[in-house]
Amino acid sequence: MDEMIRERIKQVKKGDQSAFEDVVSFFQNKIYQHCYRMLGNAHEAEDIAQEAFIRAYVNIHSFDDRRKFSTWLYRIATNLTIDRIRKRKPDHYLDAEVKGTEGLNMYSQLADNGRLPEEEVEGLELQRYIQQEIIQLPPKYRSIIMLRYIEEFSLQEISEILDIPLGTVKTRIHRGREALRKKLRHV
Amino acid sequence: MKCNNEAVELMHKYLDGDITKEQEQTLSQHLESCDACQRHFHELKRTITFIQSAEQIKAPANFTATVMEKLPTEKKRIKYTR
Repeated sequence: MDEMIRERIKQVKKGDQSAFEDVVSFFQNKIYQHCYRMLGNAHEAEDIAQEAFIRAYVNIHSFDDRRKFSTWLYRIATNLTIDRIRKRKPDHYLDAEVKGTEGLNMYSQLADNGRLPEEEVEGLELQRYIQQEIIQLPPKYRSIIMLRYIEEFSLQEISEILDIPLGTVKTRIHRGREALRKKLRHV
Repeated sequence: MKCNNEAVELMHKYLDGDITKEQEQTLSQHLESCDACQRHFHELKRTITFIQSAEQIKAPANFTATVMEKLPTEKKRIKYTR
């Protein structure tokens, strides 16, 4: 499959727009899912996922063929989702870290509609509940947890996608796992 | 070994495949004697399984076609690059 993608990218670079269709088709579910989990709603996910492919197409000449296309594409998509999250006004202050909590923010302190986790599980499928907990992680942990465990990138690849040092990826994945452990331990 | 620092640090190293043989031995010896850490480790592994079992989400049916329609036309792109 990597070979097919490499071939299509070459064609797109030569000006064959139609070759991009196979690229979109191959990555659409992965990128849409990534955006959906980052943003938490279908409308924004569709909007941002489309934008990610359009930007990839427009900037295809800046893609270095020696690198992995998926890493590059996820980087575009992740940056777009983070920009979108930042632009959401009401969330702006929610994202600010609370003093002395080491990376935890207001999200983790808000009661989830006042309902207890146990009640949530009864009302929703377990998968949906987990999805909800992932979405409540601060974006900087959420992106890494998803890239690692849902998209199955290596820590090194995640460091490239997010353009942050490997050590930072490790610190954040530890904190993300601990935060989710605390939320999911009673499930 | 202090449970809440060292042992947890080693658990995360283990999960990232960063653990050395000696560290792995230290960790497993500690887990055998400490229920709290054993539970902690179990919860971490279970959390990962939970994340991986999250619902698969698919793009809307007409996604690719919509993207293709929205791409800038080739003419325009050529004009930009020349």
